[in-house]
Amino acid sequence: MWDVNELWMQFEIMILNKGESILITFPKQFLIGESCLIIMGELAAEQHAKYILTIEKKKDDVESVLMEHLRINGAYWGLTTLDILGKLSAVDQETVISWVMSCQHESGGFGGNEGHDPHVLYTLSAIQILALFNKIEVLDIEKVSSYVATLQNEDGSFSGDKWGEIDTRFSYVALCSLALLKKLYKINVEKAVRYIVSCKNLDGGFGCTPGAESHAGQIFCCIGALAITGCLHHVDKDLLGWWLCERQVKSGGLNGRPEKLPDVCYSWWVLSSLIMIDRVHWIDKEKLVKFILDCQDKENGGISDRPDDAVDVFHTYFGVAGLSLLEYPGLKAIDPAYALPVDVINRIFLN
Amino acid sequence: MNNTDPSSLLHKFQFILDSDPLIDEVGFVHPSQFAAISDSSISLDPPSSDDNLKSKASEANPIDMAFWCRDHKLGISTHVIHPLYNAAKHAFMFSLKQYRMVVDLHTNKVVLDTDNVSNALSSLPALESEIMNHSRALLLLSCDFGTAWNCRKEVISKKEDIMLYFDELKLSTLVLSYSPKSERAWIHRRWVIKMIAGKCTDLHEVLKNESELAKRIAEKSKMNYRAWNHRCWLVSYMSESQIIDELINNRDWAGLNVADNSCFHYRTRLMTRTLDDSRYKQDAIENPSHATKFYQLWKEELTWSETLIKRYIGRESLWLYRRFLSLCWIKHFADRMCGDNVNLFLDSELLLFRSSTTIPDNVFEDYESQAMFAATYVMWLIKQLDEFRGLEIQQKVGEEIEEVVSKVCPNKSFLWDLVRMKSGRQ
Ligand SMILES: [Zn+2]
Repeated sequence: MWDVNELWMQFEIMILNKGESILITFPKQFLIGESCLIIMGELAAEQHAKYILTIEKKKDDVESVLMEHLRINGAYWGLTTLDILGKLSAVDQETVISWVMSCQHESGGFGGNEGHDPHVLYTLSAIQILALFNKIEVLDIEKVSSYVATLQNEDGSFSGDKWGEIDTRFSYVALCSLALLKKLYKINVEKAVRYIVSCKNLDGGFGCTPGAESHAGQIFCCIGALAITGCLHHVDKDLLGWWLCERQVKSGGLNGRPEKLPDVCYSWWVLSSLIMIDRVHWIDKEKLVKFILDCQDKENGGISDRPDDAVDVFHTYFGVAGLSLLEYPGLKAIDPAYALPVDVINRIFLN
Repeated sequence: MNNTDPSSLLHKFQFILDSDPLIDEVGFVHPSQFAAISDSSISLDPPSSDDNLKSKASEANPIDMAFWCRDHKLGISTHVIHPLYNAAKHAFMFSLKQYRMVVDLHTNKVVLDTDNVSNALSSLPALESEIMNHSRALLLLSCDFGTAWNCRKEVISKKEDIMLYFDELKLSTLVLSYSPKSERAWIHRRWVIKMIAGKCTDLHEVLKNESELAKRIAEKSKMNYRAWNHRCWLVSYMSESQIIDELINNRDWAGLNVADNSCFHYRTRLMTRTLDDSRYKQDAIENPSHATKFYQLWKEELTWSETLIKRYIGRESLWLYRRFLSLCWIKHFADRMCGDNVNLFLDSELLLFRSSTTIPDNVFEDYESQAMFAATYVMWLIKQLDEFRGLEIQQKVGEEIEEVVSKVCPNKSFLWDLVRMKSGRQ
């Protein structure tokens, strides 16, 4: 097992590294100039905030009802978007927090909604929402972290819930949850890292289990988990960066796998991974900004997967978060590993 | 549809599912299409003496306009999804609460009131069948409702009957028929198969059916990560002969779906298994003829890949697959043989590069992509090979690569810089 003191030291180094890597990844010449903005059109920030706020009122629509089993994920996407846009204060904190807490199961884990079974994916969303409101202390941290820790398997991998499906996504979610709760010492971090590394493919990417196809979403999870545990040295950054930069298609958008159409959600997964491995200058950032802005519904707010498709909260979040990573003016900076605003992360780790 | 009673909708739905256990496809149909197909639909109700009268009656009755079932295909009107979902969800959540309460009583053995406990226990079978019915209805409307999948696992894992597990595979198949990307439906299958594997040793038939299902779904839903991932997962359960069979059987499909990267990844997984098998390593020393079999297999795969690359111009998946094949070929075969096999192989790859970078005068986009993929293919090999070999290739085609890159993909010139730096020549 890991020595507690050693872990804390590692944490401090990691935060320092993180600050540094953000400075390195965004040298001045890569910043998007005002002149570009005029050509590219602007982010309809007000409309997007309004769009997010009205979703809550439409929770009886058939679309929302059919998604109610993962409502807590939706709440995280919506609230993080609002925070990046500087509009989180428009939300009634108390209502959100008491609803989040009502999703907690007696095991300590959270369900996707009230009365639903717990799963590590929903547990992270719950922690992230509370972090946004600076309310992590309302949790019984021991209980929640024990729930997550019991999901680790002998080989270091994580199951999503007690039924045992294994996926590197669950590794990321578990490590991220425990890091935010400062309870990483409750698991075997070394084994967790070894399992993630065993999911690395010959093309430099990562899949959901050993030997599974590389996928940008899984790569984000694996790289995020390695960043959180300070283990990025296991990655061949040039090789992975190569695969990731080949995701940019002619329109400027990014796809998640070879031969797929570009999609706004990959702006987040590919881009945050490139930032974490310090290879973001390998893609054309201006073209990507233009692609995301082209996916906006400027009138009614919201962002879609591709230009002219229907908008949804998931792609609105990934579009706005992607623009934040691209240092689009007027947006709060977001942390590429924790997927929370940088000020929220600083509040947790620097205080 | 406002006056439709949700609970009778649910009853009707469950009645249809029970009366035709062979239903193998579910879909949602818009009311405008519905009117058209209903005309020819077979009545779901007991036969009536007057068919004309009957069809008039169905038009008037909204519930009869809710479902359409024929040849084991079930259509659900998009108009009833919302009330039907609500009814199924409430029924399910209600039974679930009661079921878990009873199970808790049982496991905690709170014998304060013995009569109450035995009463509760006697209601268990009824509750279990309610749970199974309602969760089935719910999952046919909301495929990723995890709690519904979970409680099915809870109920059947307490039973000894192995046939129940096969019923779960059937339900999951039905859900996948309307939602081929449903994560939870695929996860449920893997859980079921692991349970079956723990109870019986011969998985041959199960694996064959699973692979067949994944193939069928991949046919309808292209580049479906979850379907192919499921198929990759099966590989770990396969014997060597099954691996070879899969490689042969999948080849034609792959040749017809050259843009499906997941399919080529599946081949990557199968080909890698032929290398990982400790038997293979053992055989290379003890049984050279068996090793020759693998050598032959890899050689044929390389030839086939080259044929596809030349036939289908500008397909990214084909070039990425070749990166994998070439690197493994060099590492596991060419390098181990005496003579100059690696150089011979690399020379043939450079020929492929050259033949792929000639762009016809009336420039086609596909040919430009082909040239870009060919150039990045060679650059990638240089990066992944050792310094000496990398430098050799560079000396042979460096200038040509530079020319192609600056012509078709100047934005990728940093990769060329990276490769040159790697092999020590600035
Ligand atoms: Zn998307």
